[in-house]
Amino acid sequence: MEIVRIEDLRWKYSEAREYTLKGVNLFLEEGKFLGIVGPNGAGKTTLVYTLNGLIPYRYNGIKKGRVFIYGHDTEATPVEKLTSWVGLVFSDPEAQFTSMTVEDELVFGMENIGLDRKEIKARLEWVTELTNTASLLEKPPYELSGGQKQRVAIASVLAMKPKLLIMDEPTSMLDPIGRETIFEVIARLKQEEGITIIAIEHNLELLAAVADDMALLNDGQIIFQAQTREFFNNYDLLIANQIYPPEVTQMAGILRKEGYWPGSLPLNIEQARKQISKSLVRAV
Amino acid sequence: MAAYIDVQNLSYSYPDGTLALRKVNLRVNNGDFLALIGQNGSGKTTLSKCLNGILKPTDGTVLVDGFDTSTASVAEMVRRVGYVFQNPDHQIFNSNVYDEIAYGPRNIGLREAEVKDRVIEATRVVGLKDEHLSVHPFFLPKGLRQRVAIASILALRPKVIIVDEPTTGQDMYQSFEIMNFLTELHEKNGHIIIIVTHDMPIVARYAKRVVVMAMGQIIMDGPTAEVFSHPEELSKSFVKPPQITRLGQSLLTYGFPPNILRVEEMAAVVKEKMVFTP
Ligand SMILES: Nc1ncnc2c1ncn2[C@@H]1O[C@H](COP(=O)(O)OP(=O)(O)OP(=O)(O)O)[C@@H](O)[C@H]1O
Ligand SMILES: Nc1ncnc2c1ncn2[C@@H]1O[C@H](COP(=O)(O)OP(=O)(O)OP(=O)(O)O)[C@@H](O)[C@H]1O
Ligand SMILES: [Mg+2]
Ligand SMILES: [Mg+2]
Repeated sequence: MEIVRIEDLRWKYSEAREYTLKGVNLFLEEGKFLGIVGPNGAGKTTLVYTLNGLIPYRYNGIKKGRVFIYGHDTEATPVEKLTSWVGLVFSDPEAQFTSMTVEDELVFGMENIGLDRKEIKARLEWVTELTNTASLLEKPPYELSGGQKQRVAIASVLAMKPKLLIMDEPTSMLDPIGRETIFEVIARLKQEEGITIIAIEHNLELLAAVADDMALLNDGQIIFQAQTREFFNNYDLLIANQIYPPEVTQMAGILRKEGYWPGSLPLNIEQARKQISKSLVRAV
Repeated sequence: MAAYIDVQNLSYSYPDGTLALRKVNLRVNNGDFLALIGQNGSGKTTLSKCLNGILKPTDGTVLVDGFDTSTASVAEMVRRVGYVFQNPDHQIFNSNVYDEIAYGPRNIGLREAEVKDRVIEATRVVGLKDEHLSVHPFFLPKGLRQRVAIASILALRPKVIIVDEPTTGQDMYQSFEIMNFLTELHEKNGHIIIIVTHDMPIVARYAKRVVVMAMGQIIMDGPTAEVFSHPEELSKSFVKPPQITRLGQSLLTYGFPPNILRVEEMAAVVKEKMVFTP
């Protein structure tokens, strides 16, 4: 079933001279994990703002083309309805905070959608465990370390169990193992609850391991979209757009150019290790 | 030789009682290009802020170039150690780039002619253009805002430059630009550089020395290749070596070294083995 459809979307912020989105087309099936990459200023954040109604309801500008969530045109759908489907983790966690304690921050959204006390308590335990934030509940969100703030921001959106979870650079401030944990958690949510995920990241190591599809956005347009494996096999196109694949993929890309890498490019350590050990054993 | 920064038994508690640093000892020397890494909440930002006196020790001492941070004046400190905030947007508050960079020099009482020289110098060093000077910082893209934040620190000509998460939110290309620029400041102008980061490939590529923190303490301190060749130890602080280093470590039985830091290095090793394995 289709969850997102974007048709020739153009958007110009009223203070901007140029259009930021210059004709975007996108289709996403429910239950899929889409990774979006692109250089700074490409329009990634702007694009996801069109999915939960921030654009055009909160920002001023000119919009052309159409955006559908579950077949509903976002411009003809009340924001409350959109936000009940779509959860967005902002790239700047502080932009999300409204409460005086972490606990209130997490509970507020759940109360707003009318969950009962028992359900709220259960979900609170669940998200604080997943994000390792249980010890922070009493603290004001602005008296946390950078990574702790980001964990709270992620927890508050997960607690709402949105059908479409959008994460805008969600792990940029997390420690390496925390980063892995978050990606494992969302991959599991996809598997177990069938939620749909869109994640924007500059660091592709983890995205490459979990995304079904990848899209490259540059200068307001989707330049290339493909299944993850095929996406990264187009090594030269990515490099030309200043996108750096995971390190093991880069390594194989370099070797392939020099004729030393047969077969497709690995996306993770395990694939790289297997391919290398196989060719070394064969050589023996 | 005396260390440029000498941290002795430093402890720090926030007003709400959170004990963020526990008896930290650290010597930062001339010639250091140091990465401070470790778990979220381990005290990296707190320690950085103690190094230039934004935060004063609850216990222990921090000596900078002989000055004790708990008694030195702000002017004495900012000329020696500059700190660029984790989110530079939290440090930018003037309505144009010129005033933003001029703020520090004006604040320490320099004459306007000297202020102007410093702004122009800092602008040139970070690669901002004259036309940027009149722009509101928030209308600049992230990469340039980061440079404005660094320029406003440079205008005070500190010996030590600390940048808290320089590459967060930057695409790879911008990340390399920023890091190459810090390397240039280090190599050409002799600045001591400290970066705080979770970006391990960046650490591997640029830092000479790595200090690892966990729960308010320093648990490892050594040359980059050395620190990254101890993955079990690192995991105590929720850190993993870069992916390429871990690939090498998974191939130890084939004679790969445990301390490969860069993609190109790994590619060269693989190639050699493929060519020379009979
Ligand atoms: N509120 C706004 N008003 C005017 N222009 C804006 C506004 N927000 C963003 N822009 C501009 O739109 C363009 C795209 O910005 P956007 O934040 O969507 O990029 P991005 O791909 O998310 O970049 P990054 O990787 O830096 O987060 C940029 O040129 C930016 O300056
Ligand atoms: N203003 C504050 N008031 C109270 N506690 C604070 C404050 N700022 C930070 N802390 C706490 O101090 C500890 C150390 O925080 P610090 O910001 O130094 O961590 P960090 O290593 O920089 O983490 P990160 O990688 O997430 O940025 C954490 O437990 C944090 O919650
Ligand atoms: Mg963005
Ligand atoms: Mg920090």
